[in-house]
Amino acid sequence: MKDLVVFGGLSHPELLTAVCNRLGIPEGKTKLCKFSNNETSVEIQESVREQDVYIIQSGCGTVNDNLFQLLIMINACKVASAKRITAVLPHFPYSRQPDIPYQPSSGAPLPKLPPATPRGGLASGQVTPNTSTTEDVSKQLMKQLTKVSLQEKQVDQDGKPAYRQWIARSGTLVADLLTCAGVDHIITMEMHDPQFQGFFDCPVDNLVSLPLMIKYIRHEIPNYQDCVIVSPDAGGAKRATSIAEKLRMDFALVHKERRRSSSSSSKKRDLMLVGDVRGRDICIVDDIVDTSYTITRAARILRENGARKIYALVCHAILSGGAVRNIEDSCIDQLIVSNTIPQNDHLQNSTKIKVYDVAPIFSEAIRRTHFGESVSMLFDPQFEII
Amino acid sequence: MADNSIKIFTGNSHPELAKLVANRIGIDLAKAVVMKYSNQETSVTIGESVRDEDVFIIQSGCGEINDNLMELLIMINACKTASARRITAVIPCFPYARQDKKDKSRAPITAKLTANMLTVAGANHVITMDLHASQIQGFFNVPVDNLYCEPSMIKYISTQIPNWKNALIVSPDAGGAKRATSIADRLNLDFALIHKERKRANEVSRMVLVGDVRGKIAILVDDMADTCGTLGLAAKTLVENGAEKVYAIVAHGILSGKAIKVINESVIEKLVVTNTIPHEDKMAICPKLDVIDISPTLAEAIRRTHNGESVSYLFSHVPE
Repeated sequence: MKDLVVFGGLSHPELLTAVCNRLGIPEGKTKLCKFSNNETSVEIQESVREQDVYIIQSGCGTVNDNLFQLLIMINACKVASAKRITAVLPHFPYSRQPDIPYQPSSGAPLPKLPPATPRGGLASGQVTPNTSTTEDVSKQLMKQLTKVSLQEKQVDQDGKPAYRQWIARSGTLVADLLTCAGVDHIITMEMHDPQFQGFFDCPVDNLVSLPLMIKYIRHEIPNYQDCVIVSPDAGGAKRATSIAEKLRMDFALVHKERRRSSSSSSKKRDLMLVGDVRGRDICIVDDIVDTSYTITRAARILRENGARKIYALVCHAILSGGAVRNIEDSCIDQLIVSNTIPQNDHLQNSTKIKVYDVAPIFSEAIRRTHFGESVSMLFDPQFEII
Repeated sequence: MADNSIKIFTGNSHPELAKLVANRIGIDLAKAVVMKYSNQETSVTIGESVRDEDVFIIQSGCGEINDNLMELLIMINACKTASARRITAVIPCFPYARQDKKDKSRAPITAKLTANMLTVAGANHVITMDLHASQIQGFFNVPVDNLYCEPSMIKYISTQIPNWKNALIVSPDAGGAKRATSIADRLNLDFALIHKERKRANEVSRMVLVGDVRGKIAILVDDMADTCGTLGLAAKTLVENGAEKVYAIVAHGILSGKAIKVINESVIEKLVVTNTIPHEDKMAICPKLDVIDISPTLAEAIRRTHNGESVSYLFSHVPE
């Protein structure tokens, strides 16, 4: 194909190879490494003058390093007179906007937080490798925040109302950084927050993995018409119902209740199942699995309510910390994920994980964008990509 | 006099320097928690109100540079969305400063990209130290204060190097000649230059000394010491040409890879760096390392910027 160059960063080289094979073009030649002082070094080794450039980089692994590699590659192509630069981000980094859940009456943070593994902290530059410790690290985060301010009291020493902590949201910042590096177009998949597209001034194609999930369910799950689609939290209900409608399957929902009871120090969150799953096979559907607490807890409550076999279908499998071990020990029978994030290490450590390939969708999107054709068929589950 | 207060934040790159600066100004560091989630994304929580305040964020471009730069950008953005009056990024060692021109085909100008990113994140002012090329100030549309370590270096030479009147200043390459001559003029010392001669592509380059060092103490002056290959070779050349002792004074001591080994095995008497980059772990294994504290200069610059006073005093004097 003329005038088309596809480069890849170091985050997901297998996806680059798969996409270039399907497009029938050789991979773009680059030399990507780090200088001795840890600065990123980018060398583009073929001409990009007046070419349509696509850069494939996923927001996984060492997220900040990969993000900077992508930004510097975009800048190198812009400075070298590329005609148009498209960033292909199968998993978009910093797309989840964290919010400390707070008690609506007092404004003080809730005692429990979503699990996070803090690395370092206030004035500590130590880098510890990400070991699979499953200690309750939300307590660590709370301890640090209490050290940092007086949040139990409503007023501090001067009698002024205490400052409410909030975590910075980096969504707009990442969008601005990509735009100022020089990108003209963004292709991504299953953004956690679809409104993110509005943060950009350039066109954003938010592809869906729905057709691939539906294809997998039809072909690989035996007797799928009798299965129940379950969403592990209330936010994903829309996604799960759209699959259930297309395949004419039943639907159920697992709901995290935050009761305003006096005994606020309960160890477990109250999980409620809405819908009937007795004696049925289950397909849990979600967009991201990170620490896997959400789907393993949902699987447990489904098993307690009489479910038989439990499949979990997830688009982005970050699986950080001890997540793979959690999955192995959980009630989930099979975890089916896409390869927007490289899965080779996870596959080696687990028997329950299966991968479906998203390279066909991305290579079709690249081909159609390059030739100026419509990409609408990629959103249509009736159309099966071979 | 400004009617709002100074708030100094720091990321994880060099908290000790930030504490020194805050102590000098006489305030506490502002509370913030900067760390990483389990999926390696950076998380920033600002612990006090910055509405209408003059915010200074101290973060050096060293260690894990991309992580530290991302922390800085997210902190600037967080303060902007929290309605700070003015946000100043204090970057003692500016990252990617060496990639400032397109020296071969398709090379990125990463320094310009970094400048754009800082502006887009919301910085209104940048304070940095000894930029690799002072033209980098032109990459920004916001005011940039490029402070100099030169007064601190001159004070060190005249107080800590014995018999310094019998010394001469040497630049280890042709590009640093201007820097070295300016120090030599201020101290009234002689000057010499080391020139790398490349005969052919694969041949080891020869180092040629221009100037006379016989029987004198040589003081090598440069802005960065990264792998220290150049410094080690330069010191050897100086001793072969008759220098008595060789000292090296460098503004940013990055000292990556085998640098400490090279310094320990070389003929350099002492390597003096500033604390723009943290050095605690390196001082334990390198007895030749000595550190100049530049936190007074940074603290004075911050105080004068906040009060609207002139900063020119700092270009030729070390604050006491």
